[in-house]
Amino acid sequence: MTATAERGGEVVRRHHSRTGHPRRPHSSYALFLLPGALAFLTVIVVPFLMNTGVSFTDWQGVGSPKWSGLANYRELMGDSEFWASFRHSLFMVVAMAAVPTVLGLVLAAALFDFVGKHFGTRIAAVLRACFYLPQVLPVAVAGIVWSWILAPDNGSLNALLRAVGLGSLQQDWLGDPDIALYSVMGVMVWVQLGFPLVVFMAGLQRVDPQLYEAAELDGAGWWRRFGHITLPQIRPEIYVVLLWCTIAALKVFGAVYVLTKGGPGGATDVPSYFSFTTFFEKTQVGYGAAISTVLTVIILGLALVGLKLQTRAEDAEEGLRA
Amino acid sequence: MSTTRRRVVATAAVTLTGALLLASCGSSDSGSPDGKTLKLWHYEGPDSAMGVAWNEAIKEFEKTHPGVKVKFEEKGFEQNQKTAPMVLNSNDAPDLMEYNKGNATAGLLSKQGLLTDLTAEATKRGWDKKLSAGVRTTSQYDTNGVMGSGKWYGVPNYAEYTMVFYNKDLFKKYGIAQPTTLDQLTAAMDTFVSKGITPLADAGAEYVAQQYLYQLALSRADRSWVDKYELYKGKTDFHDAAWTYAATTFADWVKKGYISKKSTSLKAEDAGVSFIQGKSPILFSGSWWYGRFQTENKFDWGTFLWPGSDLTLGSGGNLWVVPKGARNKDLAYDFIDITMSRKIQNLLGNKGGVPVGADTAAITDPKAKTLIADFNTLSGRDGLAFYPDWPVAGFYDVLVSETQKLITGSEKPDAYLSALQTAYDKGAPKT
Repeated sequence: MTATAERGGEVVRRHHSRTGHPRRPHSSYALFLLPGALAFLTVIVVPFLMNTGVSFTDWQGVGSPKWSGLANYRELMGDSEFWASFRHSLFMVVAMAAVPTVLGLVLAAALFDFVGKHFGTRIAAVLRACFYLPQVLPVAVAGIVWSWILAPDNGSLNALLRAVGLGSLQQDWLGDPDIALYSVMGVMVWVQLGFPLVVFMAGLQRVDPQLYEAAELDGAGWWRRFGHITLPQIRPEIYVVLLWCTIAALKVFGAVYVLTKGGPGGATDVPSYFSFTTFFEKTQVGYGAAISTVLTVIILGLALVGLKLQTRAEDAEEGLRA
Repeated sequence: MSTTRRRVVATAAVTLTGALLLASCGSSDSGSPDGKTLKLWHYEGPDSAMGVAWNEAIKEFEKTHPGVKVKFEEKGFEQNQKTAPMVLNSNDAPDLMEYNKGNATAGLLSKQGLLTDLTAEATKRGWDKKLSAGVRTTSQYDTNGVMGSGKWYGVPNYAEYTMVFYNKDLFKKYGIAQPTTLDQLTAAMDTFVSKGITPLADAGAEYVAQQYLYQLALSRADRSWVDKYELYKGKTDFHDAAWTYAATTFADWVKKGYISKKSTSLKAEDAGVSFIQGKSPILFSGSWWYGRFQTENKFDWGTFLWPGSDLTLGSGGNLWVVPKGARNKDLAYDFIDITMSRKIQNLLGNKGGVPVGADTAAITDPKAKTLIADFNTLSGRDGLAFYPDWPVAGFYDVLVSETQKLITGSEKPDAYLSALQTAYDKGAPKT
């Protein structure tokens, strides 16, 4: 997507230099960008700078903040609860980025290449919508429904296990500290899967069908076509999905809030929830601001690295084509 | 496009954008006192005893204040709890709002100068005479925001306390009499366990579990112990006899099956529903469940105070506070006065609340009579010991998290108490 836009931009720039009026269209565009830029400044940049400022203070949220320099950051470095929450974030990256991307790829290819061809595109579209449904549901609703499903005594998952004679596998899914994080991860895979699936299916539509036909004529099986055609062709979409989902995983909050409130015993705590409780429950606003500042910097860093890698890969691809 | 035209368009765009941004920042209806509107916020459900009583108070207020409109907004408990400092600092503050009591909440706001000093009104209107000492504790805060002394910053119109709710039908079915001692309660729980029933409804993810624990500690404590813990009148030692007894007994009760290990992830609502559905024969919790049990329980049930303990969890109810920036303070005082009137207090009592100034003869419901009589017993012996999460901001989460570990057995009582000590010492004011 980005690549197309950039290439489009390049075309526009070349065209303008030929007309001899390179500046005029740019200044017109700047006018249209102004509202967005002002809104960005007001709701993103200014609050972020204010948050960063607060992170250097000792403040309870009311009254006058007391300047404390780097004290909050020093405390953060040695705060085992924060690092534990950050470790849980890495598990969330697996659940919300890695697994949905891999599963999404396989499912998208299967829906596009197998279901679409053998059962019709309408069936494939219906299945795609079904996978996407959790993305449309508010996370609070999904969380409450899942907490019913995973309830220890009356939950439908345990009831189902009992009904099929697998009662020994029943668990306290959200209450056992050894299992709770994996249960939340499972729910997040369910929530997240639809997004990569839809993006990948859209990506597959722009792959030249002749490539598949040629490979098929050459005797390539489904997995080989998947590995040698599908994957390379939709690499830009894979980058976007991975980046987007990783960022979503790092800032996940709603599901943890509704499902476990970070428990049991902090087993599912994540940085954004940790920041929230520090802000509002402990009223340590300065410290909470330091946590969210660190989180923002990490997410920003990852986003920049991701974009850089994506651009580099696309440039390499362009180079190969040229 | 000509340069002039472009400039005009640019100016219009900037003006429009600026206006939109300002609008998005939110408007406030600030202004000077008009004496015609009482802006009131509270978070009691319309069917709860308090909700019914306050709605009646609104009608009464509008009747006695012709031309004055009550602009009521129903808020959520969490919403008020988490946004109050910001709201009170703004021009959007209401004239009167319900707010949570305790050092970390109303105490914090009073310390920051966000609440109106109600001392003069409390004396003039006789509110101070209507509230017993235990209930009054949460009304007054000193300059450090510590409750129990100093100026009046809030007025509670009801009280709350914890009790044992029990399913009389199930007790009868298994031939168990109402326990009057802790030994009898323990024997009753043994009987239920032997019948495959987990006797205590619990919720590890919310306040219920920590209330069992604190009650166990209170059964070995006295007023000075509570004052040390809640009011910082001395050093609190979490490895003392009372806390040690509480933690070891609680862990033991989990082992014996009185409390389910699977209650770790359950919320207070789950525990209440478990009692309502007749699955758990006993729930130890607060009077706020009373009205709901009256409506929803399909079996015979009763209550009794925790046996063998003079102290139990409880306090005055949530507070009416008048924000410093309120515009119609006199109207707010008048409204508080109406909620303290006999008529409203009697209504509150008959709906399953614990009134602070009701006429006992006017309470007709037999269960409500028991509820109020038990409160009077407690109040008479100075038995309200507040709640375990009050002393330190954020202690609620610590108690939830640590008690979950105690339920799952991933933490031993000694380590549990050490963790509480660390969090308490970190948050309590240095004396």
